[in-house]
Amino acid sequence: MGITEGTRAAEAAGTPYTVSPAAARRRTLLRAGSYAVPAAVVLLAVLTADRARLADQFARLSLAGTMFPEVLTVALLNTVLYTAGGFVFGLVLGLGIAVMRLSGVRLYRWLAMAYIEVFRGLPALLVFVFVGVGVPLAFPGVHFPGGVYGQVTFALGLVAAAYMAETIRAGIEAVPRGQWEAARSLGMSHGRALVSVVAPQAFRIVVPPLTNELILLFKDSSLVLFLGVTLQDRELTKFGQDMASASANTTPIVVAGCCYLLITVPLSVLVRRLERRNHRMR
Amino acid sequence: MRTHPGSPPEPSTPPPAIEIRGLCKSFGNKDVLSSIDLDVAPGEVVCVIGPSGSGKSTLLRCVSLLETPSAGRVVVNGTEVTAAEVDIDRVRRGVGMVFQHFNLFPHLTVLGNLTLAQRRVLRRGRKEAERVARENLDRVGLADRADDYPARLSGGQQQRVAIARALSMEPRLMLFDEPTSALDPELVGEVLAVMRRLALDGMTMMVVTHEMGFARQVADRVVFMDAGTVIEEGGPAQVLEAPRHERTRRFLSRLLDPLTVPGPARTRQEPAPAR
Repeated sequence: MGITEGTRAAEAAGTPYTVSPAAARRRTLLRAGSYAVPAAVVLLAVLTADRARLADQFARLSLAGTMFPEVLTVALLNTVLYTAGGFVFGLVLGLGIAVMRLSGVRLYRWLAMAYIEVFRGLPALLVFVFVGVGVPLAFPGVHFPGGVYGQVTFALGLVAAAYMAETIRAGIEAVPRGQWEAARSLGMSHGRALVSVVAPQAFRIVVPPLTNELILLFKDSSLVLFLGVTLQDRELTKFGQDMASASANTTPIVVAGCCYLLITVPLSVLVRRLERRNHRMR
Repeated sequence: MRTHPGSPPEPSTPPPAIEIRGLCKSFGNKDVLSSIDLDVAPGEVVCVIGPSGSGKSTLLRCVSLLETPSAGRVVVNGTEVTAAEVDIDRVRRGVGMVFQHFNLFPHLTVLGNLTLAQRRVLRRGRKEAERVARENLDRVGLADRADDYPARLSGGQQQRVAIARALSMEPRLMLFDEPTSALDPELVGEVLAVMRRLALDGMTMMVVTHEMGFARQVADRVVFMDAGTVIEEGGPAQVLEAPRHERTRRFLSRLLDPLTVPGPARTRQEPAPAR
């Protein structure tokens, strides 16, 4: 081919398009080094570590075996239930706040903004302690419907609503103005246009970020630890911690961690797939 | 000359489909429209032409109240839309609007686009709505694309669907806001053909356009706007071929010869200096 011949000729002539032999050697070395150095570190770690002790501390199979089936039927189940409760409550509240945030009434906009700023600015842990400790002290005799489950739903939902409201607002605003205009021109009211035309399109935009929020909630449900829960109400982190301190071994923590990843990794794969799908549709 | 809304139209002078009096619109302190007077009679096709930024789109959007007029009166199909207590959703049902960028609903099929407002606004049943939708799709020559999503259609097809969507509400009046400006040149013809057939069927139309051929052949009246005012109006032959006003002449000559440099030196014949 003419092009290859031309390139060879250029190489022979030593034109600026070719790399000097010294530079080429340096490049090869760098590439080899970027694999060799991490490999050496791993090898060193494996050789020097007290493998038997580590295996016993992090992966004592007999201990891990005693965690089943409760780690799934109680702990993982509770984690999922707490997350689901917080997510649904947060979504409903967040939707309301997002609509207020976009309202024509300045008071509503202001209230929504105040809510978002407050709950995004507070640590989730503080909200949990407030709900779990503060509220019962302030209103003695008042019990949350659903007990711990109600408390977690409420606390997680309060925090999640602030983030979801902003996500939903951004989603609604991302729908082009022409969609509103077309809907209104066909005689639809503002509300009808929102429900039938804008919301379905905004929904597709906000599903990936809301799934991300679900992952965050899944992890934050561990904060229930600070509410003081009964054996039946324990979720993954509390369950793992209790077993770990009872057995003076880290294996239960590792098992609990794996249970989290069992849910979060597929979810984040799903998010990436949804994002790619949305990207293609643009 | 004007009849009250609701009273039977007099056979000699029917009330106008659109009556615009002293319409002003400003964005901030920028006056986009200054004191526009314009009537469109039932069955009439009026083309509004003029340079970009002359306010012609804003004028059209004031008729369907997508923009709120700053002052003046707009009466559409006998209803004063600028009145405070007007039910704008009800007025808009009688006014079809076609946009430059089609604005089809991307999450619905073509059929869904055509039936949504029929069902939700006119409360028609599914069968009735689909019958009307298919009738109008047939009218724009797209009967076989009912189940496609808009993204699958060409720009020209999308705009024809948008026209069919507006027609499905059985409006008494259609507004077109530069309906072919976003289209590839080879797709313009199919949209204009649909619009021309609509005009021949007797639809009242107000068309903001740069298509002078369409204006010449289809319009009953051409309105030339510049800098937020109506400079002149009249039959297409008069305005397009024998414009009375200097600004109209300048605009039209620039359209015919786009390479002409605008400005006072436009009569200069000598070649441009070499770069």
